[in-house]
Amino acid sequence: MSDIALSPVGRKAFRLPAAAIIALISAATFVGVALATGEAAQLSATGIGGLLQRMVALGIVAIGQTLVIVAGSIDLSVAHLISVSAVLASYVMQGSPERILPAVAAVLAVAALVGLVNGFLVARLAVNPLIATLGTGLILKGLLSATFDNFAGSVAPQFQLFAYGAIGPVSFSLMTLLILWGGAALILRRTVFGAHLYAVGGNAMGARLAGIRTERVIIGAHVLASISAGVTGLYLASRLGSGAPWVGRDGLYDLESIAVVVIGGTLLSGGKGGVAGTLAGVFLFAVLDAAFNMIGIDPFLKQILRGTIVVASVAAYTFRTKAFVA
Amino acid sequence: MSALPLKAGSGALRRKLPKLRLNPVFLVLALLILAITWYNPSFIEPAGLMNFLRRAAPLVVLTCGQLFVLVTGGFDLSAGSLVTLTVIGGSLITLGDPAMTWPAIAILFAIGLVAGAVNGLVVHRLKVPSIITTLGMLLLLKGTALMWSGGSPRGYLPENFRAFGRLVWRDIPVLGILPVAVLVLVAVVAIAAWLLHRTQFGKLALAIGDNARAGELAGIGVGRVRVAAFVLSALSAVTAGILIGGFAGVSVDAGDGMELQAIAAGVIGGVQLLGGRGTVAGAVAGALALYALFTLLNFIGLPQPVRESMQGVILIAAAASAWRQRREG
Amino acid sequence: MQGISKAFHGIAALDGVSFDCRAGEVHAICGENGAGKSTLMKTLGGIYRPDAGVILLDGNETSFSHPVLARRAGISIIHQELSLLPHRSVAENIFLGEERARFGFLDRRAMWADAAKILARLGSRLDPGLEAGQLPISDQQIVEIAKALAVDARILVLDEPTAALDEAEATRLLDLVRRLRQAGVALIYISHRMKEVFDIADRITVLKDGAKVATCDRAAVTPAQVVRMMVGRELSDFFPPRPGAPPGEAVLTLEGAGNAVVSDIDLVLRRGEIVGVAGLEGSGKSALARAIFGDEPFTRGRLRFASRDGAFTAPRQAVDAGLGYLSDDRKREGLVLNQSLRDNAALVLRGFEPALAPPGSGACTPERIDAQLRGVDMRAQSFEQLTVELSGGNQQKAIIARWLCRDPRVLVAVEPTRGIDVAAKTAIYRILRDFTERGGAVLMVSSELPEIVGLSDRILVMAAGRIVAELPAGVGEEEVVAHAVGHAAAERAASAGTAP
Repeated sequence: MSDIALSPVGRKAFRLPAAAIIALISAATFVGVALATGEAAQLSATGIGGLLQRMVALGIVAIGQTLVIVAGSIDLSVAHLISVSAVLASYVMQGSPERILPAVAAVLAVAALVGLVNGFLVARLAVNPLIATLGTGLILKGLLSATFDNFAGSVAPQFQLFAYGAIGPVSFSLMTLLILWGGAALILRRTVFGAHLYAVGGNAMGARLAGIRTERVIIGAHVLASISAGVTGLYLASRLGSGAPWVGRDGLYDLESIAVVVIGGTLLSGGKGGVAGTLAGVFLFAVLDAAFNMIGIDPFLKQILRGTIVVASVAAYTFRTKAFVA
Repeated sequence: MSALPLKAGSGALRRKLPKLRLNPVFLVLALLILAITWYNPSFIEPAGLMNFLRRAAPLVVLTCGQLFVLVTGGFDLSAGSLVTLTVIGGSLITLGDPAMTWPAIAILFAIGLVAGAVNGLVVHRLKVPSIITTLGMLLLLKGTALMWSGGSPRGYLPENFRAFGRLVWRDIPVLGILPVAVLVLVAVVAIAAWLLHRTQFGKLALAIGDNARAGELAGIGVGRVRVAAFVLSALSAVTAGILIGGFAGVSVDAGDGMELQAIAAGVIGGVQLLGGRGTVAGAVAGALALYALFTLLNFIGLPQPVRESMQGVILIAAAASAWRQRREG
Repeated sequence: MQGISKAFHGIAALDGVSFDCRAGEVHAICGENGAGKSTLMKTLGGIYRPDAGVILLDGNETSFSHPVLARRAGISIIHQELSLLPHRSVAENIFLGEERARFGFLDRRAMWADAAKILARLGSRLDPGLEAGQLPISDQQIVEIAKALAVDARILVLDEPTAALDEAEATRLLDLVRRLRQAGVALIYISHRMKEVFDIADRITVLKDGAKVATCDRAAVTPAQVVRMMVGRELSDFFPPRPGAPPGEAVLTLEGAGNAVVSDIDLVLRRGEIVGVAGLEGSGKSALARAIFGDEPFTRGRLRFASRDGAFTAPRQAVDAGLGYLSDDRKREGLVLNQSLRDNAALVLRGFEPALAPPGSGACTPERIDAQLRGVDMRAQSFEQLTVELSGGNQQKAIIARWLCRDPRVLVAVEPTRGIDVAAKTAIYRILRDFTERGGAVLMVSSELPEIVGLSDRILVMAAGRIVAELPAGVGEEEVVAHAVGHAAAERAASAGTAP
């Protein structure tokens, strides 16, 4: 059907990966703003440690979102799932260290279940992923507010080590982020499952014709995304000492996780991208957050700016699309 | 839960009975009204119905606006936050002074116009999917509302502003009472019906939602239609906000989640989710049915938050059946 | 394959076709568009199930319920539209679905090595680590073929493989095909380029209108004979007679126009004439139509339309100026399926009426629209019917009516009778001719030779994005094809064949 010959491009020219560029620009911005606002203290080890710490929450959930977007789907239920996880964790734990394990297990189980539901809706019932995950998010939101309206239970003090403990300069939570990053990168680049994620996202029909079980791949991606949301919830519960129903929503984790994935170079339509780029995007957002604080921007103005930045960053990639978008 | 089985079957029903052009949502609505009356016999009296319409009016108005966006194939998730902004903005502009009411309303509509236009332009020109665009706009509007009110809205709306939502004329023949909100409702529905079914614009909107590419090749200004749809949604959100300001008072989450209710209502009313099909009558009936469902749940004693979960289920069920129809059709 | 029949919506695409292929042979299939070549191959590849007939593999009856099964049985189809994953490497594409792994972890070294081995068998020294989307088409094709070999394909179907290649790349491909033949692979080569077919094929099968015309050894037949078998048919006179009057003034002129796909287009379209544009797949004829209409605009050269100077950069401009466009894909680019006939016919008009006017006002009155619909001989229960329920022919008439409502000067029609039954075709030809007799002009891009030859007042033949020949009315189909396939010299003498 196409008369159009693809333009013959030769070998790939050497280009600095987008992730590195973003990371460099962010770092430069951070240093620049710190110096400009006289907050040079931010450039100390503690300052930088704080900056990296800001990355943990969004980073963990964004890793899962990356997997699901690479596979050609998307997950808008993460914010509410994070809230559910945080509340569930502290509710089950009720402050006692013996119950840390059951709490974590419960959270991960619930998260996996939500992932299964999402994956099933998208892969089996062919529901548009945006609607499907929006719907499950709503269901979670409703269930949560029906049962809790404030902080629930509390987290065992030992569990707070997750958020606050550290080995030397590196906190446990940061280590978790790095381990998850490594794990996701491993999956994407070195496993068959990862190769299939890219295939399904790049050309689902072609993947099916090649014999790949596309439904399993999509469901798997959603389960991983939901589990990462669950871990984020655990982290937030650990940090706050207790879980509250609004932590997910207030953190804008749904929109921001999508944004950092896109900024990092992963195509919204799937088939291309990776976690390195996502983390560069998370770094950028952490820097922006810190910069806003240093400049002393009104927290509400911050929200306005965040909304604008999210849309602008997605637009930077989509404005070249030729087809009609609704 | 009664909305669901009928919704899933409505596609099949419509195919088996092609002569029967009646939208199943009307049946659903009738059933719900009967159910509510069973709990509360005075519901069916004129005063009861008028009150019901008064309270349902914001949702119906919002759904009428969202309808245009849905019909062109998109989603407007920023409508709820625009409602909130309207309420908060209203109190901050008027500062309780009745003389400022009309200027305030004018300013609020202007804000809505700009918000809708930005939504439409970003979707059409920058090709950002409407879900992400309007989510971003939601944040922007919410942030604006918070910033404007300094985080904790104080103040109150002047009486004449609140009249739209609150005022009820008594001793009306036949109807007994006539809330102003119902008048607004009727006006909005009439305008929406005229725009969608009785103008070139409406036909173009439906065409674009069905096949934007065909529209482009037929020389239609697709962008203009899309922007207009988002503007209409925004204007309806401002209207709904004015109504809500009348009976709910000023708060930060006045409009929270209303856009999803409007979308669910549209879907119940037979609007096709990726565009191309929908009627004002169906959307109105869908909104009334949804509100009736919530009222019924209240009578039964189910807690409020269950509402949200139900909406989620309805959204998914509607999407699932719509997609199946599309694939088979 | 024996006695294969397949019908879609009651229209037979294949009628009792039998076909066989041996290991170590190149068997070419020739036929026009719509002859049934791709349907036959898709049946072989498990994408379609035949309504009748059997497929025998090594003498055993087989059937494939899913294309994957055909692939596993050793049948691989290299479609014209390559299905590579552009963002993945060559090795990853080759082993898609068959990844070399240990405990779920990709064994990249093995994949790289094996990929290199397969590529070497094909005579290629491509680096398996390169990103597939960055490669030129010829290399992408090699990757596709390598993909087939990775699953030990014994039967390889190549569908118009040289359509997007230049001379040098095509030669390389043919060498590759020879290499594969020597290795014992059975190759089915679909093409209408006689030069290649006669270069490489051992046997040739010609399909026409869903049936097999003949299978012959290459040595036993000449290119001219094959072409005649492909196109020869009884020409019933269902084309309207040509007007005696010469065409009027020029209404559309192109000078040196070009864009990414077409170049050096010089064209004049006059009032009252139908100009046919013919060419093989990949010749650029559809791109030309789109460029004229402003859909994928020209970037060089001049375009003059009536008194207006300057190319159109968007369809709306073209429509406003007085052009109409019939797309080849009416489902995706023409019809608003969920709206009524009348609404579809009114679509163009609506775009130029005041937005808030009632839908039946101005130029869009039901009377006017209905008159146009009757004018195109619309056969429908009522004009309120949804277009999705209509037959292809009526759908196409609706779109023509839509343009006629606007009274355009020029109609650009791409494949105007694709997927339409004979009766409707006749009607459409008459409509187009009437349009020109009223002073309009038609630029008709078509792969259907009968209508090119039967309807056009002049024929332009395109190849590789350029106009390579201009032929007058009265030439035979073979001559058109000959120019399109590059056989010009030999066929010029034989144009005394069939006069319409």
